[in-house]
Amino acid sequence: MSKRKPLEGVRVTDFTWIGAGSYTTKILADAGADVIKIESSARIDSLRLGAPYKDGIKGVNRSGYFADRNSSKRSITIDMKHPEALRLVQRLIDKSDVIANNFTPGVMDRFGLGYEAVRKMKPDIIYLSMSMQGATGPQSSYLGYGSSMASVTGFQQLTGMPGREPAGTGTNYPDHVPNPCHAAFAVIAALRHRRRTGEGQRIDFAQTEPMVTLLGPTILDLTVNGHLQEARGNDHDRAAPYGAFRCRGNDRWIAICVMNDAQWSKLCRVLGHPAWMAESCWMTEAQRHADRVALSERLQQETVHRGAEDLMQALQAAGVPAGVVENTEDLIKRDPQLAHRGHWVPLDHAEMGPTLYNSPPYRFTNASVGLTRSAPLLGEHTGEVCRELLGMGQEEMNRLVAAGVFR
Amino acid sequence: MTALQGIKPGALEGIRVIEVASLYTQYSGKMLAELGAEVILVEPPRGSVNRAVPPFIDQQPGLDNSLAYNYFNTSKQGITLDLSNPKGRDLFLRLAGKADLVLEGEKPGVMKGWGCGYEALSRIHPAIVMTSITGFGQTGPWAHYEAEDLVALATGGFLYLGGFPDAPPVGAYGNQAYLGAAMYGAVASLLALTNGEATGQGEYIDVSMQESMVMALENAVQFYDLEGKIKKRHAGEQRWAGTAVFECKDGYIYMMASGIGANKFWPLTLQWLIDEKMPGVERLMGEEWHREEYVITSEAKQIFAEIFSPWVKTQNKRYLFEEGQRRHIPMAAINSVADLLSSPQLAYRNFFIDMPHPATGRTLRMPGPPYQLSGTPWRSQGPAPRLGQHNAGIYGGIGITADELATLADEGVV
Repeated sequence: MSKRKPLEGVRVTDFTWIGAGSYTTKILADAGADVIKIESSARIDSLRLGAPYKDGIKGVNRSGYFADRNSSKRSITIDMKHPEALRLVQRLIDKSDVIANNFTPGVMDRFGLGYEAVRKMKPDIIYLSMSMQGATGPQSSYLGYGSSMASVTGFQQLTGMPGREPAGTGTNYPDHVPNPCHAAFAVIAALRHRRRTGEGQRIDFAQTEPMVTLLGPTILDLTVNGHLQEARGNDHDRAAPYGAFRCRGNDRWIAICVMNDAQWSKLCRVLGHPAWMAESCWMTEAQRHADRVALSERLQQETVHRGAEDLMQALQAAGVPAGVVENTEDLIKRDPQLAHRGHWVPLDHAEMGPTLYNSPPYRFTNASVGLTRSAPLLGEHTGEVCRELLGMGQEEMNRLVAAGVFR
Repeated sequence: MTALQGIKPGALEGIRVIEVASLYTQYSGKMLAELGAEVILVEPPRGSVNRAVPPFIDQQPGLDNSLAYNYFNTSKQGITLDLSNPKGRDLFLRLAGKADLVLEGEKPGVMKGWGCGYEALSRIHPAIVMTSITGFGQTGPWAHYEAEDLVALATGGFLYLGGFPDAPPVGAYGNQAYLGAAMYGAVASLLALTNGEATGQGEYIDVSMQESMVMALENAVQFYDLEGKIKKRHAGEQRWAGTAVFECKDGYIYMMASGIGANKFWPLTLQWLIDEKMPGVERLMGEEWHREEYVITSEAKQIFAEIFSPWVKTQNKRYLFEEGQRRHIPMAAINSVADLLSSPQLAYRNFFIDMPHPATGRTLRMPGPPYQLSGTPWRSQGPAPRLGQHNAGIYGGIGITADELATLADEGVV
């Protein structure tokens, strides 16, 4: 008997595009939901035009950025400005449990697909809207991307080095973990309520708010203690050494986190008991933390002669938290743990050939969760969805194609 | 229960969760509790490590003083239990027999060693879901390695992307690896509960913190897979011309004038620069500025900075944020934590909530709902529990009398 997927039988009419929205519906699709992505060549998902491309050649079906976020989904093309579009989408909504978008507020209304309108079409629909700052409030019309959310939420300023311009993570972080996880969680919870009561609902999701909730302790430090936290590199609240230290080779680094005095002794042993580490000024955590800048400099003089992989193995064997600062080549070609877990999933794509996708970071034992197919070509499933799901005959298909709805 | 009339139900009402307290699980438990699940936090009799995490109220460590603990454990009930004690194990199994989900973040094999592993749980309760969150996962060559937030950022490849080219890699602020694993743990748990409600089937879930951070790499992996390029840290540099951090009069802004596929914000940005009569703006008027291939060059970035930087340094970030947005450019103020507390947007949405802190009688102002659900609203169910606060009620619920509880306490089991 084949294993069941948890969201089998759930269908999503998916207007999300670009970052957080597409990653949210990927979570649902990889868990078995039938996610039908509404696209249009008249309003292309800009991630389809986002690097990198297979062999470096640009094309709407060649972006790896797009592909990874859109595994296990189907794609249909509908030009929402066409007068027949709304009626067509309504038929799809009628067969759906969830409708999702991450536009700025107002866009769905202009399509005739605001919450009230959709609720009239399908009273028990779960309506997820993921705008930048929510559907209400003085800044509800603002637009932004992941880096904008990171900035507005305080996260960008907190991630970096003291005295330098805010560094951030080098990515659109809120798009990749906080927002997709929170949005998927809210949708799955709303689906449960719908199964139990028959009621749908609206989820007003501000892409800034989950990131701020993750900063709770930092906010409390200000509201309770009046202490404003600032960027502090990799420093830990109490532990030291705690940071990234240069190793032998080109841009090779190791993260070492000494969380207590016992681990400090183990670090000394692995490094061969250098004389300076035996000095009494480094004995206690409080001493090490107080003088952590000098400590890190001295420690780096030890690590810089070592290979990052070998040092990680030696420290882990001794029980010291340590890890190679892996680059993408390390992750794909050398990391034995990710390989063991089967994280990288090669999927064959009609135009890109076999390429790597992220598996979800969880493994199930009984149910089946994971990628079912590579990203769809633009409009790949238009015919299939219209015929098999909407029950459209060839004559009607031909008429709508001729009318230019499926652009 | 007249007081509850008119209150909307929680989406996860009726789901009972046992959370074995850990840094990995605490945010998962909070997410579940605040959409309506009943979450019972199980701590060792002397308190969990989470109570020792800074910052502290008035910088004073103490069982009730960790702000991190008090934030990540709201809406839960708290009991104490020594799982390593055979009597403790028996009580745990009785509690789990009445639960739908067990969340835990012990090292692989520890729960099993205590007789509290998935096999033991599913023997007495086949439909139970157990979610284990650890640094590297339950099996594999690194399964027993020591993990820490920064180690997971490093081995997940996320650390390599952060920071300045002339300095060490810098990691994401604020325990994002622990939190990322917790968020994925919450999603996976809810998926399994969904499956269980349809099939009656139980589930065991293995979540890896390292792998959770791999999810944060944006397109870096695809750059290597498709084009053979290793992405590196680039703080302090423009990603495309006009897409970067810029220093202004009273701080910094993040502007996105160009980039991500279609370069659609460029004409709006250019118009702003023209309206402001920035000296040299004519240098930005060529058609090449509409092409990604050009705006990604060092030449384009340098020209843009020469024209824009002197002007932006004379403007304040609130004005730039509002005016940029008025012009439909994705402009963002780089806010401090203090700016969040005065944000008119967050205030309008009643984002911050005031939580009582019974141990001190103070009120803790903290973030509230991460999402607004119209039918089943996010709701706090009260402050984080004091150590063993709900022992009497919870153990009473599985038939332990007050006398028995006193004996268990004397024996150090609870």
